[in-house]
Amino acid sequence: MDFVTLHSIFTVIIFVAFIALVFWLFVLKRKPDFDQAANAIFADEQKPQQKQQQESDHE
Amino acid sequence: MSHTQSLNVDYNYTVVRLFALTTVLWGIVGMSVGVLIAAQLYWPALNFDTAWLTYSRLRPLHTNAVIFAFGTSALFATSYYVVQRTCQVRLFAEKLAMFTFIGWQVVIIAAAITLPQGISQSKEYAELEWPIDLLIAVVWISYAIVFFGTLVKRKTSHIYVANWFYGGFIITVAALHIVNSMVIPVSFTKSYSIYAGAVDAMVQWWYGHNAVGFLLTAGFLGMMYYFVPKQAGRPVYSYRLSVVHFWALIALYIWAGSHHLHYTALPDWTQSVGMVMSVILFVPSWGGMINGIMTLSGAWHKLKTDPILRFLIVSLSFYGMSTFEGPMMAIKSVNALSHYTDWTVGHVHSGALGWVAMVSIGALYHLIPAVFAQGRMYSVKLINTHFWLHTTGVVLYIVALWISGIMQGMMWRAVNTDGTLTYSFVQSLEASYPFYLMRFIGGCFVVTGMLVMAYNVIKTVRAKQGTLEPIAEAA
Repeated sequence: MDFVTLHSIFTVIIFVAFIALVFWLFVLKRKPDFDQAANAIFADEQKPQQKQQQESDHE
Repeated sequence: MSHTQSLNVDYNYTVVRLFALTTVLWGIVGMSVGVLIAAQLYWPALNFDTAWLTYSRLRPLHTNAVIFAFGTSALFATSYYVVQRTCQVRLFAEKLAMFTFIGWQVVIIAAAITLPQGISQSKEYAELEWPIDLLIAVVWISYAIVFFGTLVKRKTSHIYVANWFYGGFIITVAALHIVNSMVIPVSFTKSYSIYAGAVDAMVQWWYGHNAVGFLLTAGFLGMMYYFVPKQAGRPVYSYRLSVVHFWALIALYIWAGSHHLHYTALPDWTQSVGMVMSVILFVPSWGGMINGIMTLSGAWHKLKTDPILRFLIVSLSFYGMSTFEGPMMAIKSVNALSHYTDWTVGHVHSGALGWVAMVSIGALYHLIPAVFAQGRMYSVKLINTHFWLHTTGVVLYIVALWISGIMQGMMWRAVNTDGTLTYSFVQSLEASYPFYLMRFIGGCFVVTGMLVMAYNVIKTVRAKQGTLEPIAEAA
């Protein structure tokens, strides 16, 4: 197989993979999953509050 | 707030602190060397007829210092911080993490010793000779082990998008560095590339442009995706867009390098591929920029009171500007005007000082109080002062070189009716002369801002733990 054929196949694979990615993101996977992921960076701030609650529960 | 800090005990902040502090130090050093060589272009006598003080030797010192000492230290500091916080675990292989710090400082010092002596491989942004290149490779692979090891032992199920950008940056830079540094050493301080002619040039600019695309872009986008939402106190505008952004960016950037070699011995089709890929690259770049800026949507008022957020958001505006300008300059007909002129240098600095430096500075102002157990920086006012000094400096710099660059391009291509050149090279140099003063003044503003930052950082670090209370946020 020559280079041109190989590269053409590669280009098609990349293109299909990209379309599949977009389909997965916007059709298959639900928005709440991503909202959860986007909020993950605030988890370390919510923890102390939960901790406080737990502590007050114990009291 | 004190509860948040007590939680941080679980994390390894030692190596983050060290890298954060050296970022400020190397920022001042690298940018000062930049100001010195800018001054040399206006007052040539400033090289004092000393070989190691000449422009040719200090210019690579400047670029290496700002990219690999300042920028990369900022990436080390923030990636170690972000990967721990988003994975909720301590760093993997902490001794190896400490080795990356010491090893990287040795690389920087070795660069500072060898480059002024003229010891160089003469490849732009890859000047360092083979013994230093070997050390870089070892440090970088250690960095990958620490970073990905931490991802593997994470306590969260999802890998936050910032880590994808950091991870992509770490892997690609390892590949770029190792491939482009393939040389045959002839002595301890001299080596020759294993590639020849146009292939060597293509490998060099495959490396060179992806150093921009992965080190100066993907890495700093990782920084952006953590620190912008965090400082704004709201999640990123669209998480879905950030996933598309990541894959589109890394799939396209890798092909753009040949736009550095328009109208050279490189095959014409390779130049055209580089041009087309560079133009398409505009789309994911702006997608990412919009994603970052729109994170503030509904909370624009925060920009008025929070200079840290202003650093971060303005950095994104400069990112948007540079990633519009870049694809334009990659178009062959535009490149015929812009290449080899000051326009290119202006474009690089709009990216480096506007995007890379501002997002790093914003991230550091957020990160330093957190890792030194303080609620905020010593002086928020001084952050604001720094913001205006930096912005003024960058605008002066870019505007000067835009005018100078386009003028140079126009003068170099002007021909008389009989086909002879209208202007000599020296005439174009004379026309650029006043703008070199303007560029120098802009640089002074930027360095002054960095000194203000250093003072603020020292005051924050030396303040008694927990004495700097966070400012209550206005609703």
